[in-house]
Amino acid sequence: MLLTLIGALLLLQTQQNQPRTVAIDESFAARANLKVGDRVTVSSRPGADDFAVMTATRTGYTPIAAAPETVLIAAIVRRGADPSEVARGDFLLRMHLDQLQQVSGYGDRVDRFAIATKPSANIGQTVNRINHVAFGFRAYRSRDIAVETSRTFQVVSRFHRAIGVITIVASSVFLLCIMVLKVEERRRDIAALRLMGISRWSVVQSIIIEAALVAVLGSVLGVALGWAASLFVNWHYQALYRTPLAFSMVTPPIVALAVSLSLLLGIGAGILASLRLVRTPPLVLFGR
Amino acid sequence: MTEPTQTPAAPDERPIVSLRDVRRDYALGAERVHALQGVTLDVERGDYVAIVGPSGCGKSTLLNLIGVIDQPTSGTVEIGGKRVDDMSDWEATSFRLYNIGFVFQRFYLMPILSALENVALPMAEAKVPREERRERAAQLLAYVGLSNRERHRPSELSGGEQQRVAIARALANRPTLVLADEPTGELDAHTGAEIISLFQRLNADGTTIVVVTHDEGLADAARRKIHMRDGKVVDGSA
Repeated sequence: MLLTLIGALLLLQTQQNQPRTVAIDESFAARANLKVGDRVTVSSRPGADDFAVMTATRTGYTPIAAAPETVLIAAIVRRGADPSEVARGDFLLRMHLDQLQQVSGYGDRVDRFAIATKPSANIGQTVNRINHVAFGFRAYRSRDIAVETSRTFQVVSRFHRAIGVITIVASSVFLLCIMVLKVEERRRDIAALRLMGISRWSVVQSIIIEAALVAVLGSVLGVALGWAASLFVNWHYQALYRTPLAFSMVTPPIVALAVSLSLLLGIGAGILASLRLVRTPPLVLFGR
Repeated sequence: MTEPTQTPAAPDERPIVSLRDVRRDYALGAERVHALQGVTLDVERGDYVAIVGPSGCGKSTLLNLIGVIDQPTSGTVEIGGKRVDDMSDWEATSFRLYNIGFVFQRFYLMPILSALENVALPMAEAKVPREERRERAAQLLAYVGLSNRERHRPSELSGGEQQRVAIARALANRPTLVLADEPTGELDAHTGAEIISLFQRLNADGTTIVVVTHDEGLADAARRKIHMRDGKVVDGSA
């Protein structure tokens, strides 16, 4: 567990004997051109120097002035995948608890802290357990906080859903049009098949199989395209925000949904396109 | 190469095709077109009949009725002794599958299937076992001189070769009767002559053929010519 100081920092050139160590995040290091071994002075008084972050005031209390302290950057770390932090532009400084108390001037007062869990942890169970045994504070999932604290996530989520629905409707119409056109192109072939004694059901079956194959092939290509786009999106935004957060994911359930939905649409389109044709007498299909 | 030879003529001496006073009228807007006006016609088993006449005389309408594709407005049509003029769509489809082979002017081969698969297609519909239909399709292709083209798709075949594949396909389910609608219409004179020769061989081997054509060469090759005009048989009827 680490304390996240959301406080003000000033960059100085002073040195101390045996300074305490801190860790900063990648984006901070890149922005301030800092590296491991550099010394910086931390202070709760913002604005005194060329680099300051003032998020402490956003948390609702006024920092109490405390003596600045020069510290040694011992590590540059990558931030956790927290969606609520990605777009804020805050920088992260990790320091020892007593050091934070001294610099911030708040003693043992803690506003909030974050718990990092192992990937295998059951977060829901952990949150419930903390809320059950702890008194005076509540635990939340970072994802829930992100949703609660930012309407943007909800809006984006709804937007994504709307795009999904529109895409499905548009692709259904597109698939149906393709199938109708493909079938229409072969109306004379189908008429010939009917004249040869091929039953309506056999014709419908073959068109449905073809439509299903087209749909499945299309969905597989779509998934491949989505996967490639996802790689690009993640690469771009992870570099932009310096976060391991996955912005786009193509998961097995999504692939299964895409393929099965596509299959259903393909079969539906095949049925509609073929029924339209096999109900027409072969001679009419021949144009006689 | 005697593969497509039809089963030996049955002792049944009745005509294989028998039309009695067949009329077929069409509604064309407010008008009524009398495409066939009381046609009576018999085609004997093993015969080779060419139906000729000017455009619009009712040749194709007659062929459609013999092929159980269309139904007469009045009169009766019998194929192989069975009334076919009042069949349901399902019955007619099934009847065509087992009893009639069609050869079209434009071949209508399935473009994604090989020559062998095209020939085997009607047999697949007739639930002939896979091995049997492959074997028979290969024999039929050999009969029409295309044993070296089994795996070729229609786009890889010439017009004459495509028509020969179509003829092999028409013979797939050992039909009682082969009907051809302008089978040389899309072919040059030389290739047309090959198809005419193939039809003659087919007939000599026992297949009953009825062909509608404007091609004099094809009509002359037939054993019997039926002339039509204005929806009536004017010469050659039974």
